[in-house]
Amino acid sequence: MHHLAVHFVDINLATGLQVVLLGFIGGVLSGFIGSGGAFFMTPGMMNLGVEGVISVASNITHKFGKAMVGSRKHGEAGNVDKKLAVFVLGTAIIGIQLAVVIASKLFREGTGHGAAKGAGANLYISIVFATILLGVALSMLSDLIKTSREPEGGAGPSTRIADFLARFNLPPVIHFKVADTKVSLWVILAVGTATGYLAGTIGVGGFIGVPAMIYVFGVPTAVAAGTELYLAMFMGAYGALSYAYQGFVDIRLTLLLYLGSLVGIYLGVYGVKVVNEKVIRLVTSLIILLCVLSRIIAIPIYLRQLGYLNIDPGWDRYFNLVSKFFLFASGISGCLVILFYVVRAYRQRREMHRTLQFAGGSPVKRGEASPA
Amino acid sequence: MSIVMISSAAHDVGKELALSLEKKTGWPSLSRTELVEEAREHGIKLGRLETSIIKSPVVPERLAKEKNLYLAFITAILCEKGKGGNLIYQGRAGHLLLPGVTHRLRVGLMTPGEMRVENAMRDLRLPREKAQVYLDQLDEDFNKWVRYVHGVERLDPAQYDLFVNLHNVSLPNISATLCSMAELPDFQPTPVSLRLMDNLDLTARAKVLLATHELTRDLDLGIRAVDGVVTVTYMPRQEGAAEAILEVLQGLKGCKEARCTMAETNILWVQESFSADSENFQEIVQLSRRWGAAVELLRVAPPAQRVQGLPEESHGIERIPVQGTAGGTYTGGVEDDSFESEGEDNGLSHTMEALVSMGRSAGGETIYGAKDEIIDKIRGESNCSLVVLGDLFLEKGREARKRMIRELSLAIRERLKAPIITADEMSSRFLFGKKQAIKLLGFAALVICVYILVFSFQKPILNFLGGEIHEQWKWLASITVALFVPFVAYCYSAVTGLLLKLIGID
Repeated sequence: MHHLAVHFVDINLATGLQVVLLGFIGGVLSGFIGSGGAFFMTPGMMNLGVEGVISVASNITHKFGKAMVGSRKHGEAGNVDKKLAVFVLGTAIIGIQLAVVIASKLFREGTGHGAAKGAGANLYISIVFATILLGVALSMLSDLIKTSREPEGGAGPSTRIADFLARFNLPPVIHFKVADTKVSLWVILAVGTATGYLAGTIGVGGFIGVPAMIYVFGVPTAVAAGTELYLAMFMGAYGALSYAYQGFVDIRLTLLLYLGSLVGIYLGVYGVKVVNEKVIRLVTSLIILLCVLSRIIAIPIYLRQLGYLNIDPGWDRYFNLVSKFFLFASGISGCLVILFYVVRAYRQRREMHRTLQFAGGSPVKRGEASPA
Repeated sequence: MSIVMISSAAHDVGKELALSLEKKTGWPSLSRTELVEEAREHGIKLGRLETSIIKSPVVPERLAKEKNLYLAFITAILCEKGKGGNLIYQGRAGHLLLPGVTHRLRVGLMTPGEMRVENAMRDLRLPREKAQVYLDQLDEDFNKWVRYVHGVERLDPAQYDLFVNLHNVSLPNISATLCSMAELPDFQPTPVSLRLMDNLDLTARAKVLLATHELTRDLDLGIRAVDGVVTVTYMPRQEGAAEAILEVLQGLKGCKEARCTMAETNILWVQESFSADSENFQEIVQLSRRWGAAVELLRVAPPAQRVQGLPEESHGIERIPVQGTAGGTYTGGVEDDSFESEGEDNGLSHTMEALVSMGRSAGGETIYGAKDEIIDKIRGESNCSLVVLGDLFLEKGREARKRMIRELSLAIRERLKAPIITADEMSSRFLFGKKQAIKLLGFAALVICVYILVFSFQKPILNFLGGEIHEQWKWLASITVALFVPFVAYCYSAVTGLLLKLIGID
């Protein structure tokens, strides 16, 4: 049996700070976009030299604790449909187990040595990551373009899928009271398994789960987010237990991610309140597209390590560098845009409290408060 | 003089009942069909809204705005028609329109299923089975509509004054019963209910005007009108909104004064008596500063005060003349017209003025009643992110008051799922004080210790998580991770939450 400890990356101050930064950016994006932020943190850690499977395992463990804290708050607000969560969870566990088995098999059966060990798993994770998120980003952009063309400048998401599925009531159909919707069990099975599989493979759950619940099940947005977080807690727990059992969880990475993410998430959520919905969707889709590009650029490295591509190993460094550049460019620029709005709104909030009023036909300004 | 609101379902006898009542009384009548037609003529896309709600519960933000516009539009028409005297309204969820107006008689009908099926067969030329399926589907869609648009269950008995089962009673007899009931003192207008109707009318017209005017139609606004004073809150990102809103509102009939407050959200503060010098006020203001919120005041007065305006026919109850009472409880800036003087409104107007001077006012008003009235009021608050229950049930003892406020809070939370806290909880939940400082220091110390330990003993820990020790203790390693991680997350999130609260970002 391999001594897995050798696959844990050495963490010096610089690496540690970079992981904290990844956590912070991931947290800001996560709070802003509403996903777990794994799409940024997982490849980010891989770019720092962390094995793909360890990045996923450490991130899913990080997500577990975060979801536990978050779902408690959503639960208090009545945004959690536990019945729906139970149904999705049952199938999601199958998906996670499938993902864990595939990822660890690819990792252990890798034929390479040194850096090449785990290249199969890295390639597999990168391909799934790029394919799924490219689809998400493109559909978001297309939705945005379509709604922008509408004369009234509509801002709502498309309801085509929910409308389409509402026509088929493939029995058994289950009624979810909190979400106030009826969904066929078969649809739940498909979506749950896919969500679990993606959560287990690339650590991305909410990115698929929340839109699926909104678009496919027809669940209100707040309930979708709350239920997904509740689900994420169990899926994260299951993923963390499974990966920890396999010996892939690097608790140091998880703790470093927390240092940044739990601060960032507050700022991201604050950003949502102060940024226009179209800007939110545009920023989100562009960030994801850059992340996908970053992962695609890294794919030749894994292909070479697996012997499918014959290029000079010296090129790995450049591929890695460019990949890293795009990843950090997407995260940092997205994060800066969000922080710009956050800071602007924060200052505005402190400096411009006012009540404008008119009485007797002429406007008068009242209640202009000095900066706090 | 009362308004009879008949809530009817598809293919029942609501329309016939309204006609019968109209013939018997000579009162004007209005149906939902007419309102919908008028709404469509004004460009409200009701069809899209209905399809969206019925076919898929995912209602886009734009359609949610359409819903508010539709509700405002029909409220404005109902107020206009109902102002002149009596009115009979018949239509889907009619009993839920004009919330809070006490001189409306809310009637529900239970039409026998067989009668509805036969009506549907006759009207649509459908065979029996298909008519039954059609009606079942229609009822389900109808329930969804009521739940989304009004936030309550269609058949909730608490929403009706009278629910009639047509199985054993004939239509003319029901009509006669309704005539008699509408004459009861309980359903006669009082100064308070007339004033509330005026407020609903002005609010609705302001909403329609702002939602359809080219300068303001894209804004996210919170709109409230009380006694001729229209208060509008707008989001900080909507620069220049205040000027545009004021410009548009200047053309609104009945708007004596308009106030625009920039706010990310609203905090609804419910009390019996307000004071700008109280500790609760200071805490509310502190919280509103942190959140960039505007504060809306809701004064709760005992229901007994509401019936002071009953007509002379009512036994043993003093009548207050209706004429010349256009003013109301809210007195910010319109004291001449006010129904209650400043001293009588238990500090509402004074506190409102204090909020206006701070740029934090989202309006305020008085409601007469208790739990149900407060719930009705909160249900209509789409822009409210927190409800604070302050000093209520003041005539009770301290312990009883605490218990009753807690029960009220639970009832509201259960029925509305609204974020609600009591004033006592405010400082511990949202503000930063000594307790929070101690908590912050405690959790911070714990987190620092954990991090120091983990990074000081990296090698044995990694060995336990993925090395030789792990090979022997796989289950123990995974259980340790599953217990340790949420513990760290909880402690560290407490630290970050408190730190951000300290600097005012929460």
